[in-house]
Amino acid sequence: MTLASAGERRASQQARRLSGSRKVGRISYWPFVLPALVVVSAVVVFPWAFTLWMSVSEWKVGEPYHFVGFANYLRLLHDQRFLQSIGRTLLYTVLSVVAPMVIGTLAALLFNEKMPARGLLRGIFVMPMMATPVAIALVWTMMFHPQLGVLNYLLSLIGLDPQDWVFAPDTVIASLVMVETWQWSPLVMLIVLGGLASLPADPYESARIDGANAFQRFWYLTLPMILPFLLVAMTIRMIDALKSFDIIYAITQGGPGTASETTNLYLYSVAFAYAEIGYGSAIAVLFFLLIVVLSLVLLHVRELSGRILGTTK
Amino acid sequence: MAAVTLSHVGKSYGAVGVLHGVSVDIADGEFVILVGQSGCGKSTLLRMIAGLESVTSGDISIGDRVINDLPPKDRDIAMVFQNYALYPHMTVRKNMEFGLKLRGTPRAEINEKVAHASAILGLESLMERLPRELSGGQRQRVAMGRAIVRDPQVFLFDEPLSNLDAKLRVHMRTEIKALHQRLGATVIYVTHDQIEAMTMADKIVVMHDGRIAQQGAPLDIYDRPANLFVAQFIGSPSMNILDGQFAGDGSAVFITDKGVHILLANVPAENAGRPAKIGIRPEHIMLNDSGIAARVIVTEPTGSETQLTLDVDGHELVVLIRDRVDYKPNDVLKIGLAQNHIHAFDADSGSRLTL
Repeated sequence: MTLASAGERRASQQARRLSGSRKVGRISYWPFVLPALVVVSAVVVFPWAFTLWMSVSEWKVGEPYHFVGFANYLRLLHDQRFLQSIGRTLLYTVLSVVAPMVIGTLAALLFNEKMPARGLLRGIFVMPMMATPVAIALVWTMMFHPQLGVLNYLLSLIGLDPQDWVFAPDTVIASLVMVETWQWSPLVMLIVLGGLASLPADPYESARIDGANAFQRFWYLTLPMILPFLLVAMTIRMIDALKSFDIIYAITQGGPGTASETTNLYLYSVAFAYAEIGYGSAIAVLFFLLIVVLSLVLLHVRELSGRILGTTK
Repeated sequence: MAAVTLSHVGKSYGAVGVLHGVSVDIADGEFVILVGQSGCGKSTLLRMIAGLESVTSGDISIGDRVINDLPPKDRDIAMVFQNYALYPHMTVRKNMEFGLKLRGTPRAEINEKVAHASAILGLESLMERLPRELSGGQRQRVAMGRAIVRDPQVFLFDEPLSNLDAKLRVHMRTEIKALHQRLGATVIYVTHDQIEAMTMADKIVVMHDGRIAQQGAPLDIYDRPANLFVAQFIGSPSMNILDGQFAGDGSAVFITDKGVHILLANVPAENAGRPAKIGIRPEHIMLNDSGIAARVIVTEPTGSETQLTLDVDGHELVVLIRDRVDYKPNDVLKIGLAQNHIHAFDADSGSRLTL
């Protein structure tokens, strides 16, 4: 036997051993992956695929499935109620992101300072977050009541005219945003407080020597350094606000008229009140795409800021 | 540039006093190092000069202006911190510009000053980097650059080299000293490293328990330590200290507590029989065939010199000799003490006794 052929044989033996072990590996990891795969398929993949499948059908509950291609999507482009609901949803979302972000951040700055009973005050501020949305809706509905509600009473105390709050088309969105802000500013505060706690102390001392006053220290140091935390809060808030349903449904059901009908509520009506499952599914798919695009934009911004600050690689 | 005067400066946190009547005169352009162990109050004192801590009692003046109650920005000082304290989200350039920008300095002047400082410190190629993309030494240079662009009357350094590795520390030590010579600024520098203090300072202020143990030129302090603390703190390896008392018969002899007789140059008559401690630096003990017998415990060659740890009748002595020797443990050799380099201290108060 020549040396070369001995070498070849050894190599082929090695290859066989390697492929054998790879085969064992392929068999052995399945039991670990399978449970997760089953669950994900059942709760994510299947509903998704089913929704897509329904969105290209004209299908009312109890009637046979009827494939219509992209007809539902084309119909959506001319559906004024749908287009208005998108605009309303975006308005509602912007307001429900901005107001809690501002109030939550200010609260975090306040509660980050040393003060007596700080823990207790923080606890009280966080409480709305823990309440059940439907309960909140019932309480706020009473507070919004034009004659009996406490809000108009409070306005009267400072000499302002009573408002119709959720009972008038002009003020309904702003009123609902008030509820959203009251409930979700605490979440923003918690996230920002975490960010503030992680800030290094040294740069603030050098900033004092550099001559920065309290506002400049906030503007040039604190704000950029907590930006990644603000963006996390913003992303969470945006997704929550886009898909907000319970509070709006429980307080106004989309009314007066359709003045507070967001896409989610319209989708609910189409699918479950008018039983047009196919058309409703098409709304769901488009609405999902909208959320994905907006989230991607925010994620991108967050990554950019993280790269500058060194919080993400 | 300006002189700095500390006059009876005290600091207490509630009932806890950390500085007790510290007075130091720092001349214009002088490089003064506050040195001492952790917790001796040296950093607190520096932070009080910076305006980051309030002054409980006494006065701090820069030039002829008392600055006790001035905010940091109005004191015309710049400070370099141990942890650099750079702004993590700003590039090197923005870090250096920040102080000037806040003061409303015109853009052209900012650019000029930043370019000047970065040239001095060799930072030109790093200007667009973020602090986390720099090494420790580079970050420390940026911190110094931030101080230089401000062109302050007084530079304050708070243990700036503590976070650097040994080799870089030696290098930066030289750089800081060269920088001082170049700028001619008044510098107050805090460190716990007595070698930094010895090598860089025009004047050393040794602090101990919130008080000044001694202040003076580095070699004066080294040659004539005012008390036992300074004697042991300054110098590496540190001074050998022996307990005992002066001979009662008035002869120039010190008898240690283990009965070793050490000949001194002179003992004033009033100290005869007085309990005391004597100190001798390792380099002032030599090999001497007619001297005291000593047993070798450890031999540590460093290349340029050899450090021996010896046992003399139960006293452990560290000896530094310039020769290369190859003693084995338990070898016996004879040593002699340079009489005119022996220091004596009171047994109780630790203050220096004249010999």
